[in-house]
Amino acid sequence: MPIPDKVAAANRINEFLRGVVAHGGLRLKYRITVDPPLPDERDWERPEVLVELAGPDSPLLLERGAELLRSLELLALEILRLPANEHEKICFDCMNHRALRLEELRMAASVAAERVRKTGAPYEFAPMSSRERRIVHLALRDHPDLRTESQDEGGRRRVVLYPKDYKAASKLASRTIR
Amino acid sequence: MSEQSGDLRALVEQIAKGLVDAPDQVSVNQVESEQTTVLELKVGPNDMGKVIGKQGRTARAMRTLLSAAGLRFHKRFTLEILE
Repeated sequence: MPIPDKVAAANRINEFLRGVVAHGGLRLKYRITVDPPLPDERDWERPEVLVELAGPDSPLLLERGAELLRSLELLALEILRLPANEHEKICFDCMNHRALRLEELRMAASVAAERVRKTGAPYEFAPMSSRERRIVHLALRDHPDLRTESQDEGGRRRVVLYPKDYKAASKLASRTIR
Repeated sequence: MSEQSGDLRALVEQIAKGLVDAPDQVSVNQVESEQTTVLELKVGPNDMGKVIGKQGRTARAMRTLLSAAGLRFHKRFTLEILE
C-alpha cells in the first residue's frame, strides 16, 4: 500500500531535518524526492520518498555502521507514524551508502555460504536491522542446500545460516557459544 | 547558557513534539553542569512510549543525534526522559 500523502510526508521530513540542521549545528544539506526515478532492474528497496544527505558532516552520518543516518531515518519514520511493514517506503541515504552496504551484505552472504558448505557448521552474521537481515535472507534464498533463520531479539537479532539438514540438537549447542 | 547549546534544547523539543500525541504537554528543561548539559524531557503520561520507542530505539536515536551535535559544540549532552 503506498503512503497516503507522500507530499505531506516529505514536508514533515523537511521540517524535521530543517530543525536538525538549524538547531543541531550539523553541516548538512539534503534533498527530498517523492517517487524518485529508479532503474527498473533495481531488485531491492524501492522507496517512495528518498532523502539524500550531503555536506561536510557526511562522514559523521556514516560512522559506526551509519548510526546517525539510521537514527535520523528512524526518527522520521516515528514522526510519520508509519507501521513497520511500510518503513521501506522512506529511505535516507548519504554518499550512496545504501547501495554500497547492499553490495557488502551480498558479498558477506556469499562468503558465508561457502563457509557453511565447507565446514557443515552454522554461521552467525552480526546483529542487523530488519531491512539488512531481509537483504541477507534474500541473497541466500536461491541456495537449496542452505537455510537461513533470524535469531534472538531486539538489538541482538541476527541472521544464522545453516546447512539445510542441520539438526536442532547441535543447533542449540552452537547457540551457547557467544 | 551558550547560545549554541540552547539550540539542542529546541531540537529535542521539536522532535518530541513531532513524536507525541499531545505536543502541548512537551517541555524540555536544560540543566548545565561543568562538563555536561542535561536535557530533561517531559511528556504527557500517555506519550512516554512514543519518545522511548520499541526497545528504547527512539530515545537511543535522539541520544545519537545529541552526541553528534555535541561534537560540534565540544560539549556532552545527555537526554533524560522524566515521568
